Amino acid sequence: MNLGPILRSLLHNKTRLILISFEVALTLAIVVNCLNLLFEMRGKMLRPTGIDEKNIIVATVLPFGPEYRDDKFIERVRTDDLAAMRALPGVKAACASGQIPLSGGGSSTGLKVEGSTDQVGAPYFSVTEQAVETLGVEIAAGRNLVPEDFVTKPTVEGKPSQYNVLMTQALADRLYPAGDALGKTLGGGERFTIVGIIRQMHNSWPDSENVERAMLIASPPGSARRIRYLVRAEPGMREEVAGRLEADLLRLQAGRIVKVQTMEEIKADSYLENTVLIKIFSAVSVLLLAVTSLGIVGVTSFSVTERTRQIGTRRALGATRRQILEHFLVEAGMIAAFGVAVGTGIAYGLNFALVSLADAPRLGMPLLSGGMILLGAASLLAALGPALRACRVPPVVATRTV
Amino acid sequence: MFAYQLRLAWKSLRRNPGLSILSVVGIGLGIGVATTFVTTYYMLSGNPIPQKSDKLFYVQLDSWSPERSYDRDHPDLPPDQVTYRDMAEIMKSKIPTHAGGMFKADLTVHPAGDGQKPFRQLVRMCFADFFPMFDVPFQFGSGWDARADAGPEAVIVLDDEINRKLFGGENSVGRTLLIEDREFRIVGVLAPWKPLPKFYDVTNDPFDAPEGIFMPFNFVRPMEINTAGNTSNWGDGSGDGFEGFLQSETVWIQMWAQLEDEEQVQTYRAFLDAYVNEQKKLGRFPRPINNRLSPVMTMLKDQGAAPEEAVGVLIIAILFLVVCSVNLIGVLLGKFLARAPEVGVRRALGASRRWVFVQHLVECELIAVLGAVLGLGLAALGLELLNRMFEAQFAFRLDLPMVGAGVLLALVSGLVAGIYPAYRICRIAPAMYLKTQ
Repeated sequence: MNLGPILRSLLHNKTRLILISFEVALTLAIVVNCLNLLFEMRGKMLRPTGIDEKNIIVATVLPFGPEYRDDKFIERVRTDDLAAMRALPGVKAACASGQIPLSGGGSSTGLKVEGSTDQVGAPYFSVTEQAVETLGVEIAAGRNLVPEDFVTKPTVEGKPSQYNVLMTQALADRLYPAGDALGKTLGGGERFTIVGIIRQMHNSWPDSENVERAMLIASPPGSARRIRYLVRAEPGMREEVAGRLEADLLRLQAGRIVKVQTMEEIKADSYLENTVLIKIFSAVSVLLLAVTSLGIVGVTSFSVTERTRQIGTRRALGATRRQILEHFLVEAGMIAAFGVAVGTGIAYGLNFALVSLADAPRLGMPLLSGGMILLGAASLLAALGPALRACRVPPVVATRTV
Repeated sequence: MFAYQLRLAWKSLRRNPGLSILSVVGIGLGIGVATTFVTTYYMLSGNPIPQKSDKLFYVQLDSWSPERSYDRDHPDLPPDQVTYRDMAEIMKSKIPTHAGGMFKADLTVHPAGDGQKPFRQLVRMCFADFFPMFDVPFQFGSGWDARADAGPEAVIVLDDEINRKLFGGENSVGRTLLIEDREFRIVGVLAPWKPLPKFYDVTNDPFDAPEGIFMPFNFVRPMEINTAGNTSNWGDGSGDGFEGFLQSETVWIQMWAQLEDEEQVQTYRAFLDAYVNEQKKLGRFPRPINNRLSPVMTMLKDQGAAPEEAVGVLIIAILFLVVCSVNLIGVLLGKFLARAPEVGVRRALGASRRWVFVQHLVECELIAVLGAVLGLGLAALGLELLNRMFEAQFAFRLDLPMVGAGVLLALVSGLVAGIYPAYRICRIAPAMYLKTQ
């Protein structure tokens, strides 16, 4: 195949070249940046959270009766509720937790290792027994929390109280880079002893960079304002258990409101903005590809119409249909290649703007190459229709209108 | 002349309906996408109370710890909220036209009637001045007065949504509602009101709707109402018991003042400085004096209320429109040049180049205006779709300035797309086309 004449005829009509390649370039830049943002968000939503999100149910109990002002009463209610929920068919485990993973709101405390001035934020969960079983997290080292850990320790005047805790590998590694966290005690006013390490678990703030840092404190939660339970159902039993929790808990004790949500609903709420943005970026990419493809169809058709007589002449002089088809496809390929080359520059420029203005991730080479192939294929596909029309021009056209 | 050109343009569009529809849809899509996200950006970073945003001041006092600033990333900023005791003291000043501290609470509402389950409801605890200060619109009744603040009297104001939920949208003024363990008399019902962002409290969920119930602040003590918003403290922590909490250095209240002019601002500033100096004698306010009176827009910028993603989406949407315009250039070029023989005849019959150029630009603008109509429709649809996807968190809608912006975007892109094709067609040599006919 001889590329020279094709290139020369292309340069003969620079407007078309410039228009389409600019459109292809901009489209490439926008689409790869959209996909870049989209993939990052999708990645965030799909990453493992360490907990059994599919089977966990969250029951929030909001008391309003005056009897809940008494801490002893709350403790008794909590114990009764948990016993009842654990006895339900289809329930694997249940615990109370002051904080809810992935919910977007929680509690955090500053931890300092003895002899260090470096304060590390430690998102925590104050939990009852069975927390590890309910969350479905895995103990990587040390031991699980045992009933003795929950025996309230008397606060001696001037002597800080002490709790046994589990913490995630990520938090332990941040506090003790040497990897000797297990068994250590740390903290100022309240002291925490690390009795076990959790392999992986997300805390309450999915947006946070340090989402893998979490700590389970053996300290049963609950106040006159709110008690929260986590219930882990057997696979396939979630809907059934969730459906009866409100009525069951209210039958057990009145004077309160019970709100039941699944962990998946809570997660979807936290990631709502992400979900919407993913939809926006997908829609923009698809619409843009459609607009650009239509543009290429339009401009190529126009160029075919304009050159009908030339095509006839070439055919009369012995060019095969195949050669005519090739001519237009190669032309489209060249325009696309040119556009993609310019587009790479624009894509990086746009990415730079998005990184600095909107905190976007950097653009990677694999995604850009993928975008180039996508745009190239779309250009060729768009040019195919008009090119097929061109190759059906009969040689006789050359003689007819002269 | 213009009418004639417009008629010619319309005829030209009618002649090739397929191509015309394609160009209108192409540019309409671009206008639709661009207008949708210009609107979201404009609303998210916009002025929620334009008529008096420069008279409303967010009050901040630096009551923070001597050891470190409140916000490590912005050491010059005082805490974003104030303590209860400071709020109570500076509320005594008569300088501002209106002023008031406020916070968000989460209380149990017991609807009357059988079978109605109690529910938790976000309540804004505020003073009488809240309503006139923020130009809050009422559909029934009104706010309460200073006497009800002082009592406090058991009165409340409902918003439109909760009034629909509890009373089917009727005028419920004069009826009562049981909240926690107290009966409150309803004195007013708001018209729908959804400032975006919820500027009066951006510390706590700046894009949520306003709370559904408004209650006199001073019930905070008798009912021991805790905040459902953010609290921050230093030093001795949050104190013992509820009274201890109120007297502690915990910041948890948003404080606002309406000041009419620079003189009033200066007087109020002097008052705040004098107050802090007096407190310093009592051993409080260990940091250098750093009181702030920020007008609404300054406060929104300081607190970084607008989400960063909105900027990214805006840039992408504008570029989308650019692609659609480039696309339109290609279509118009083909369309106009196909008409060269006709233009050749017109030129030979005495039409000037200028006339031909203007004629074709008119046609481009006609396409752009039709595109704008379609695009604005698409934008309205897109915004409604966004509202649904965000589960009514926002109330995005096209207002007059945004309709104007959409039309302007359309006219500019029509012009940009049209200039080159119109130029090309007005430059053709008439002789050539006369010859071949």
